[in-house]
Amino acid sequence: MKMLVVATYPQDKGPTLLDKARFSIPEKSVYIGEKRLKNAQGITALLGAAYQAASSDESAEIYALLGGDIGKGDGTRAVYKDFKKAVNQIQPDIIVFHYMQPIMALMKQAMKDLDELEFENPLLVADAGGMYAAKAAGVAHRFELMTPDIGEIGFLAEENVPHPAYVSHFLFGTEDFEPLAMAQKAYRHNSAARVLLIKGATDTIVVEGKLFATLSEPCLPVLEAIGGTGDTLTGLCAGIMLMGVSTADAALEACALNRKAGMLAQVNPSKHASDIIAHISR
Amino acid sequence: MGLFSRQKKTVASDADALQQGLLTFDNVNDALAGERTLLAHNYDVSLVAPPQHLRTGCDLALAISNIEHIGAQRALEQEGVVVRAWYDDTAGQYQPISLVTTEDLGEWTMVRAGNMKITYEKSSGLIVNTSGGGCPDIPYLNLELVGKSLADAPRPKELGYTLCGLMLDRAFCEAHYLFDGKAARS
Repeated sequence: MKMLVVATYPQDKGPTLLDKARFSIPEKSVYIGEKRLKNAQGITALLGAAYQAASSDESAEIYALLGGDIGKGDGTRAVYKDFKKAVNQIQPDIIVFHYMQPIMALMKQAMKDLDELEFENPLLVADAGGMYAAKAAGVAHRFELMTPDIGEIGFLAEENVPHPAYVSHFLFGTEDFEPLAMAQKAYRHNSAARVLLIKGATDTIVVEGKLFATLSEPCLPVLEAIGGTGDTLTGLCAGIMLMGVSTADAALEACALNRKAGMLAQVNPSKHASDIIAHISR
Repeated sequence: MGLFSRQKKTVASDADALQQGLLTFDNVNDALAGERTLLAHNYDVSLVAPPQHLRTGCDLALAISNIEHIGAQRALEQEGVVVRAWYDDTAGQYQPISLVTTEDLGEWTMVRAGNMKITYEKSSGLIVNTSGGGCPDIPYLNLELVGKSLADAPRPKELGYTLCGLMLDRAFCEAHYLFDGKAARS
């Protein structure tokens, strides 16, 4: 099976990349073809975890379509421009949208591009800016999986809000916060994927508005402080899905593996996602 | 056909209004200069008529994605175009969340602002991590901030371009304030 990850990487005016992705354990680094990416939160964390999760399956292939973007939106636009061609070339079973400028019109166009495919539509996964764009564009219901954190589930739940920065205080993971209730609200509004993995001190998995599972052990509160640990969780889940596991089961396994890897890496707030990825094995 | 009949639009449709905010100007020339500048910086902008309650004489404003306004305003400032005000949405309904919370993690403190977090070492003020967010300047800011002290690091607002960058700036300011008690909180 094949996966295509559509995202940006933090290099100003960096070229658009389309190639296979891999993670080098000795170097703790992600390569796209021959290009080594700088470790940061974001795409390297997701790709590294996805690669590690699927590394035991030789038939699993992970491709990345990435644009260099430091927030100006230029790399995001370049990626969307090449999106249809890349999808037709690779014919992925899964497409993951990740760190990108949340531009509603471009996400809508990507959905139109997918409607015109002459092969079976891939399963769609969204996190970060890809998820923001999908919700704002009104196409969230087309997605198989979204992986919001506690702040972002409030964003999905609150109708008409275009970005998590505008979420009401009372939805923002404060006391009495109910992720399941937020997920159900989002699902009712067509602002959620079929499966939601809500990342937090307790990970909550919701399928079609119904609770599937929660996981809170081993308890590692410092994971929240480490940039990229949400990305590794999304990557793990997508990587396990790539091996044919159902989405909800993959989400639950990913939660357990992410926590286990964090424990093996003896995490503290000064560790980095690449330290954790090196300890992922399925 | 005159300039305004060619370029002036009504304030964005409901769907667009959810995504766009308004830059307002003191006069038409500034609004036009703002449009030229932002188009030259590859921003998608459109000249619109601001809603009645935001008008103060100049009846032109620029509608731009509220996700991108931080970088856009910096580009205008660098080009000497004076902006009167920024409004987060065309109807004045939304404002970025102001809730800031802290978490004691032993030797470290994590500060959350909205969907963004910054963590620093209590003894030294060293920024050890940033996390959260989803816009493309966040991994870039992670590279630029981690490993620097709160005193020496650039403010995220000076490097970032998006709402996520703005929220990280709020967390950064609070962390700086908590560390040395002198820095401005926002």
